[in-house]
Amino acid sequence: MKHFDFVDVTLRDAHQCLWSTRMTTAMMTPILGAIDRVGYSYINILGGAVFDVCVRYLHENPWERVKLLCSRFATPCDALTRGQSLYTFELFPDDIVALNAQVLAKRGVKVLTVYDALNDNRNLESSIKSGREAGMKINGWMTYTLSPVHTDVYYVARTKELVKLKVDFLCIKDPTGLLTPERGKTLFPAVVKAAGKIPVQLHSHCQSGLAPKVYEIAMQSGFTHGYTATAPLANGASLPATEEIAERARRLGFRISLNAKFLKEVADYFRWLCVREDKPCGKVAAYDPALYEHQIPGGMISNLRYQLETMKLEDRLPEILEEVAQVRRDLGYPIVVSPFAQYVVTQATLNVVQGERYKTIPDEIRKYASGYYGKLAAKPSDEFLDRANLKADEFVTERPGEHIEPWVPRLRAELGAAACDEDLLLAAFYDKALLEPLRKPGPAYRYSTTPLHELVSWLGARRDVEYAHIRFAGTEMTFSA
Amino acid sequence: MPDRDLTYEDLLQIVELIKSTSHFSEFRLKVGDIEVSLRRAGGTPPQLAQDNAAGAPVPAPRKTKRQFPEGAHLVRSPMVGTFYRAPQPGQPPFVEVGQAVEPDTTVCIIEVMKLMNSIPAGANGVVKEIVVDNTSAVEYGEVLMVIEPR
Repeated sequence: MKHFDFVDVTLRDAHQCLWSTRMTTAMMTPILGAIDRVGYSYINILGGAVFDVCVRYLHENPWERVKLLCSRFATPCDALTRGQSLYTFELFPDDIVALNAQVLAKRGVKVLTVYDALNDNRNLESSIKSGREAGMKINGWMTYTLSPVHTDVYYVARTKELVKLKVDFLCIKDPTGLLTPERGKTLFPAVVKAAGKIPVQLHSHCQSGLAPKVYEIAMQSGFTHGYTATAPLANGASLPATEEIAERARRLGFRISLNAKFLKEVADYFRWLCVREDKPCGKVAAYDPALYEHQIPGGMISNLRYQLETMKLEDRLPEILEEVAQVRRDLGYPIVVSPFAQYVVTQATLNVVQGERYKTIPDEIRKYASGYYGKLAAKPSDEFLDRANLKADEFVTERPGEHIEPWVPRLRAELGAAACDEDLLLAAFYDKALLEPLRKPGPAYRYSTTPLHELVSWLGARRDVEYAHIRFAGTEMTFSA
Repeated sequence: MPDRDLTYEDLLQIVELIKSTSHFSEFRLKVGDIEVSLRRAGGTPPQLAQDNAAGAPVPAPRKTKRQFPEGAHLVRSPMVGTFYRAPQPGQPPFVEVGQAVEPDTTVCIIEVMKLMNSIPAGANGVVKEIVVDNTSAVEYGEVLMVIEPR
């Protein structure tokens, strides 16, 4: 009987998709023990958005969260970076990429997962080399998208590059839930074959509602792992529910080593947490054919609508979405993920508002077209290249990391010999002012909770309640303000 | 009475009920083996102040139309955005008043939806006036600079 195994994304991508990444460490700690006992192969704890939101909005030191989670979990932890861009969208020199790998390994991360938004695997080389040297296993992701150039042949070529880079795992990441069962039937066996002995994983979102079926095709094609989230934080823009995929795998005859009791405990806790924190649970998305045209993730459309409202342009949204498809063609089919999603959307907005294509081209898009961030999937259209008017010496063909000088010596000199590697990296990523709030010590975390405990602290936090009395089974309590 | 632990299902049920009665000053509930009674201050519970500062769209400031000298070349904003005179904070501005420029000399940056757009002078001439203050919000078509053609 074949096994199908699971990687948990509840603490990373699930709340990134449903809660704008706003889950704090304090919300996680009471349930870590149960998550650890579910039987996941790996637990994904870090990604670019988690790192960034920790610093900018939660005012938590992300390195402290990494250390805490890795030390509480016996299950090996996985950290995701954007390759040469790490947690941001700019490119970093190889010495910063290497130092980041060392810090992650030192803090207890066992698997370093890397991807590049252009699928230019040269942008993974530096991470793979330094991650392996630091003692971590390497998981190489390929990002899925729909376009005339992103064919099965294209993904087999990317797979072979990752095999050559000797990754320990390979994964197809479908950030917008564009995979269909039909495409899976040709793409998945081709990738598994090209991967040889390397285990292949699937990481697909649920915007189109098709992901659970796509996971079945993956299992049947020989994929070994699926990324999933606890049921209340699954579906919609998030990933499929662990419970549902496990059930589908069982029905297909796969052996599953997940503990139903702990799965339920985790789901119960997060269902309550959604209510307590007034955050949405994931809902199964209705099939939306328009998704396959513009490919913009749901979260990004609501963000775009808000941006257009502030510019009093909200009535142009349908036109802009239509223009997005054209801009994407003209730019050589960038994958509609960060940061290129923003590029495509902004260029489309400029085109529509100015009533003329490419009259104004943002600097970042010119850089993208020059190859500064990596190889393009296809050559941009003549109309775009004509308007961009890039000079011959602006084109970049070398590996993007190569045109950046080392930063570590300069940062060491600035911060002094006493500064730790963690602080040095934070200084490489952020302005000083943003790091100031991270100095304050974190709260005392609770590592367990019960429904009764949650009820009492919830009532205690109601400012309007001046008297409450609770009687349950053998317990009775009264409190008054 | 069976001895059991309060479950998350119980908790959700109780909390939903309490929330749905927030306009009453007293609340008593008995479901199976659970009893909850509570009293609220006043009668109308204090509503949490809605912090809408970040969410509400900021109305664009109305600017009065002003006249520019005839024949002058006007550098206009391609979009609603933010005007920057220098490539980075702390660096010298792209141009100063009195400086000679060529059509493709970058004179400023307009940030549109988090992306930076280098704006060329668009004509041969001398910078006569910089109309907008650094980091100001600008509207579509707003005049940023006046260039006196040569």
